[in-house]
Amino acid sequence: MGGRATLGEFEHLVLATALRVDNGYGAELIRELEARTGRQVQGGALYVTLDRLEAKGLIASRLEEPTEQRGGRPKRFIDVTPAGIRALAEQREAFLRAWQGIEHELDHA
Amino acid sequence: MTPRPPRFLRRLLAAVLPEGTARDGLVGDLDELYADRVPRGRVKAVVWYTRQVISAAVRYRARRTRGSSGQRARLAGLGTDLRVGGRMMLKYPGLSLVSGLAMAFAIFVGVVVFEVGSLYVSPTLPLPDGDRVVQINSLDAESLRPERRLLFDFEEWRTSVSTVQELGAWRDVRRTLVFEGADGPPVEVAEITAAGLRVSGASPMLGRTLLEDDERAGAAPVALIGFNLWRTRFGRDPDVVGRVARLGGQDVTVVGVMPEGFEFPVSHDVWVPLRTEGAGLEPLSGPPVRVVGLLSPDASLAAANTELLALGQRMAARYPASHEHLMPRATPFIKGFSGGLAGEFLAFGAIGVLVVMLVLLVCGNVALLLFARAAARESELLVRSAVGASRRRIVVQMFLEALVLGVAAAGLGLVASAGALSRWVGPFLEFNEGRLPFWMDPHLSPRAVLFALGLTVLGSAVAGILPGLKVTRGMASRLRQSAAGSGGLQFGGVWTAVIVAQVAVTVAVPSIVYFHVWQVRHTAQFEAGFAAEEYLTVQLTRGSTAIGPGGAGADIAASFAAAVDEVRRRLVDEADVLGATVVSRIPRTGHPDYRIEVDEGPSARASAVGAERPEAEVAHIGPSYFEVLRAPIRAGRAFDAGDLSSGERVAIVDESFVELVLGGRGAVGRRVRFLNRAPFPVEGDSEQWYDIVGIVPDLGMGRPSKRGPFAGLYLPMDLADQDRVHLMIRTRGDPTTLAPVVRGIVADVDPTVTVDGLVAADDVLAGELSTNRLMLYATILLTVIALLLSLSGIYSVLAFTVARRTREIGLRAALGGGRRRIFVDIFRGPLSRVAVGVGAGSLLIFLGLVLLPDSSFSMAEDLAGGVTLQAVGLLLGYGAFMFSVCLLACVVPTRRALSVEPTEALRTE
Repeated sequence: MGGRATLGEFEHLVLATALRVDNGYGAELIRELEARTGRQVQGGALYVTLDRLEAKGLIASRLEEPTEQRGGRPKRFIDVTPAGIRALAEQREAFLRAWQGIEHELDHA
Repeated sequence: MTPRPPRFLRRLLAAVLPEGTARDGLVGDLDELYADRVPRGRVKAVVWYTRQVISAAVRYRARRTRGSSGQRARLAGLGTDLRVGGRMMLKYPGLSLVSGLAMAFAIFVGVVVFEVGSLYVSPTLPLPDGDRVVQINSLDAESLRPERRLLFDFEEWRTSVSTVQELGAWRDVRRTLVFEGADGPPVEVAEITAAGLRVSGASPMLGRTLLEDDERAGAAPVALIGFNLWRTRFGRDPDVVGRVARLGGQDVTVVGVMPEGFEFPVSHDVWVPLRTEGAGLEPLSGPPVRVVGLLSPDASLAAANTELLALGQRMAARYPASHEHLMPRATPFIKGFSGGLAGEFLAFGAIGVLVVMLVLLVCGNVALLLFARAAARESELLVRSAVGASRRRIVVQMFLEALVLGVAAAGLGLVASAGALSRWVGPFLEFNEGRLPFWMDPHLSPRAVLFALGLTVLGSAVAGILPGLKVTRGMASRLRQSAAGSGGLQFGGVWTAVIVAQVAVTVAVPSIVYFHVWQVRHTAQFEAGFAAEEYLTVQLTRGSTAIGPGGAGADIAASFAAAVDEVRRRLVDEADVLGATVVSRIPRTGHPDYRIEVDEGPSARASAVGAERPEAEVAHIGPSYFEVLRAPIRAGRAFDAGDLSSGERVAIVDESFVELVLGGRGAVGRRVRFLNRAPFPVEGDSEQWYDIVGIVPDLGMGRPSKRGPFAGLYLPMDLADQDRVHLMIRTRGDPTTLAPVVRGIVADVDPTVTVDGLVAADDVLAGELSTNRLMLYATILLTVIALLLSLSGIYSVLAFTVARRTREIGLRAALGGGRRRIFVDIFRGPLSRVAVGVGAGSLLIFLGLVLLPDSSFSMAEDLAGGVTLQAVGLLLGYGAFMFSVCLLACVVPTRRALSVEPTEALRTE
């Protein structure tokens, strides 16, 4: 598990955001994702992705005490595991290699 | 307060998510994000939240259903059928709109009735361990009545029962609450033991809960307040804990605030420790209480009852005098309140009849419309059949077409019912039933959504499969006939019956609206008989007896009487008060009625005048009542202070009494007595005669919504017998400005007396009228929708049946048949169906009038009261209107058929 995990685009975004918002929970991740990507994020999509990342061992999550502000619901806090960080690093490397020498093409876009 | 997403959507979200991290985390996250979005616009936030719910539902469902390739192929076929269904909807927009609205309407009505019904029939306790919460009652096996003086038994149960934990007791009291000099309507207080409160599993939002130490004699008086009270009366003060309020004349320290929505055990605002202080030391002593507990995790209800039964037998052996017939029994908490909840729901019988009629109307209507649509597509279906589509395939497709329409209708119906449930149903039930218990919270539940989906599938099956089967029956032979140029789809007996029933119900339904209008008008016009706008009314209720040895009930009664008298006296001293008097019921608010007998003397006993068993509406009044109301005494005299002390039994009657009971003969000097039962408090007094000493004008006796006139009878009031009295205060200027003064005086004289209903006598009908009007508007709206749908259905089906005969009409015209003869022949069938329907509808109305008066439901009498010449005229007019709609439905296609060239007509189909 872990080392060779491939990431879909949304998985990549979620994992990177979880790393940025260290020890963040669902609502924080959605806010951050929306602010960074400029697109609306569906909570259901995020949670399905989180479940998948957790199954791959790339993140670990835990539920904290319920609070009144959230209608008595607990927060699901997310930590990126070392395997998750490794997967992000590998994907980034792959992207950088893929872009090497062609970034100037983007100027014509 | 943090804004919350619409409850229905929130519950739906929780229902579609799998249990665990997804449900807990995502629901909370979306709550939080919703609150972020509300400042930018609530509607936008709701739309955003709805999209989130749909997306979550789709994603989590999609994860569950990843099918095989065969399944995918079937799904693709299904997709095509659904798309065809969508296109069909657009191809016949008028028909789709009418039948879609009809289905939405049926779903709306069905869901609302389902939700209200489940509130009564299968309520659930929204507490963490709701299914384990029980009440322990003690049934007297001899009288079959529950014994509520349970403090002694409670102590015994608390120490010996092992299958039920956290045994607690409580009793209800009402108290006036004063905080920083401001008071308001009385609050519902639960005097409850700390364990009893723990059963709810809730913890306070601020401060602490009640503790066992608070129950000890000599402990400082404390109170826990509810969220609503904290919001409305304590100004959301975050530092409220530790502050002192005055509750029923006693200073109490607020120790905590319970969270929003918490009203356990029933509908309480304040919780104070139940202090037994030595009460209940003897069997069957102390005040009535209820006992609540939590079933142990490893115990069943049956095990608890076995244990309680054994304990009951031991106690019966030890205390035979008091406990010989007592049987303790644990029941689920809600059931412990009353088995009558389902019965109360049945009291909505009249509404139920209306609902059933409307739903029947709509179902028949949709089936007719879709049948007409299917019949119009007969040639298309024949072609499909010819190129190899099986009958099953065609029927399934028609079902799916109806389902597409049904799903759109269900969406509309659910949105409308969610709105109606949260806005109207709650206030309506509260008006009729008083404050609702906390577990009765009308809203659209996931259960009701499932019910609606079930209705949709069922409705679509009826509306799609039945016409589908009918249209595809004998398809092969029709194919041949069609090639030969004859035949076609015909209406069968079932459809004829459906049309007749449809017309009948369409005729009968508006009569309910008519009577409703009559009732509202009647209520609004009910005369007070005095200048009601000058009077302020107020209800004073005696405080509960304090718990403790001796219980001093008589002292409390005497002190209440003294307090009321003192309040009245002080009010009269106020500058703006012209007079004040006491009465048991405010005029025009409905009085208890009693069967009476008039002493006609030995010679005239058999020929009693007026009604055979006359009834009189009875009110107890203070001596100055007529003087304060400025009602002239028409004959005889008013009551005086001596009437009570002398022990003589006297009564005053109103003019309607003289008219109705005595047939206009002189009343003063005659005697009356009560049959069967007598007004409180003179139990066993039915043999006693009362002398009529005076006659007064009619002063709003009776129930405004019922048919009058009513015979009114007044008795002198002994304040010491009353738990509750009303004051009528005549004021200078606007009576309501006097309200704070009244509150102040009552609080000063006796803080345990609670003050309610401070309204001008002119406004006492406002509540009843607004509910009646609300009901009326709702009924009118529902009926108009139902009628429009129904009429359009009847029109299209009749027009269709006549249009089917274009060919025949053409042939007959070509062969030289007279137009008149053709008209008569063509119209005979459809119009005779309509005539039978109108007749059946009139019969329904008639049966309603004849049968309803025998039922116990009070509306029946009112209905009978509404029958006038005008009503009959309206019925005839409406029948004629119905008939002309149907006539029009036949005339238009017949004329069209006659106007085309016979050769053209022969070419149709």
